[in-house]
Amino acid sequence: MDKRLRNALKGLADPDVEHRRRAMEPFVRATFGIFIRCLYRYLGNEVECEDVLEDVYADIWQDPGHLRNINSEKELLRNVYLYYMRKHLREVYRRINRNSYLSQQDLMNLVAPDLSIPEMMSQAELGQVLRRMLGRLKARERRAIELWMQGMSNRAIANELKTTVGAVKMLEFRTILKLKKMLSDCCRED
Amino acid sequence: MPQTNREIQELLIDYAGALRDGCMPDFLKSLTREEADRIASSAEFWQATEVTRILNSVGFADKAVTPDVGLFISRVNAAIACRLKKARASSPVKRNADRSRGPKPSTQAKTWAEDLL
Repeated sequence: MDKRLRNALKGLADPDVEHRRRAMEPFVRATFGIFIRCLYRYLGNEVECEDVLEDVYADIWQDPGHLRNINSEKELLRNVYLYYMRKHLREVYRRINRNSYLSQQDLMNLVAPDLSIPEMMSQAELGQVLRRMLGRLKARERRAIELWMQGMSNRAIANELKTTVGAVKMLEFRTILKLKKMLSDCCRED
Repeated sequence: MPQTNREIQELLIDYAGALRDGCMPDFLKSLTREEADRIASSAEFWQATEVTRILNSVGFADKAVTPDVGLFISRVNAAIACRLKKARASSPVKRNADRSRGPKPSTQAKTWAEDLL
């Protein structure tokens, strides 16, 4: 963990609320990028990410108890997700679920799931693993995922691959499942 | 008109698209009862969502347009100030002052609001 983050965390341990309030600024500066990328994974929307993160930081200021004895960035992210972010992620969608047929538990699993081993990896590690896995796919599968990650619609991908939209959806689904299997194997090896 | 009675692969791709485009509420609202049941009973769907989130994170999180941290800090400060104000307004100290002539209140469990003061 870098020095800046370690010092910022020390400030949060202060029992005095005013001191803790002052300590929030270096803490936000040190962690904003990490937390917003984590939230983006679940929300995919910058505006909602900021709204949730604002409440997350206020919660941390109010009760920083879960951030004591943190030794690594990974541990910090895990604790912040489990004890502060998850609650707010659930709140974002709870109001929507009144009109949805998804059960409350399924909704929770979809929008604020438990952390799996790959989800605990840092952004750089994930990028590395994903590149390795994409390299092992068939050319057509890799192309479909790469185009999707460039932001193309399924119709555009279908035009590019000279096939139908339905076939593209099936190809992407099968490829994602294949990636999941590779990811599990990779985590087991590590 | 939204497509109804989608197969599991279509649902997964729609979920992935919603996550990528930042419109998850629309996806949730679009689900019919049958589709929700299909999602609930499909192990493949749940396995695939994990990879979808990772793809979303690796592909797009770095490109997300986030505000200047300085501006964001002022929002956090405002949120903290708001909570402090609420805590002070509802703190027992103020209520005790109002009831200064009455009997001494019994000791209560320490709340975080008291802690702030």
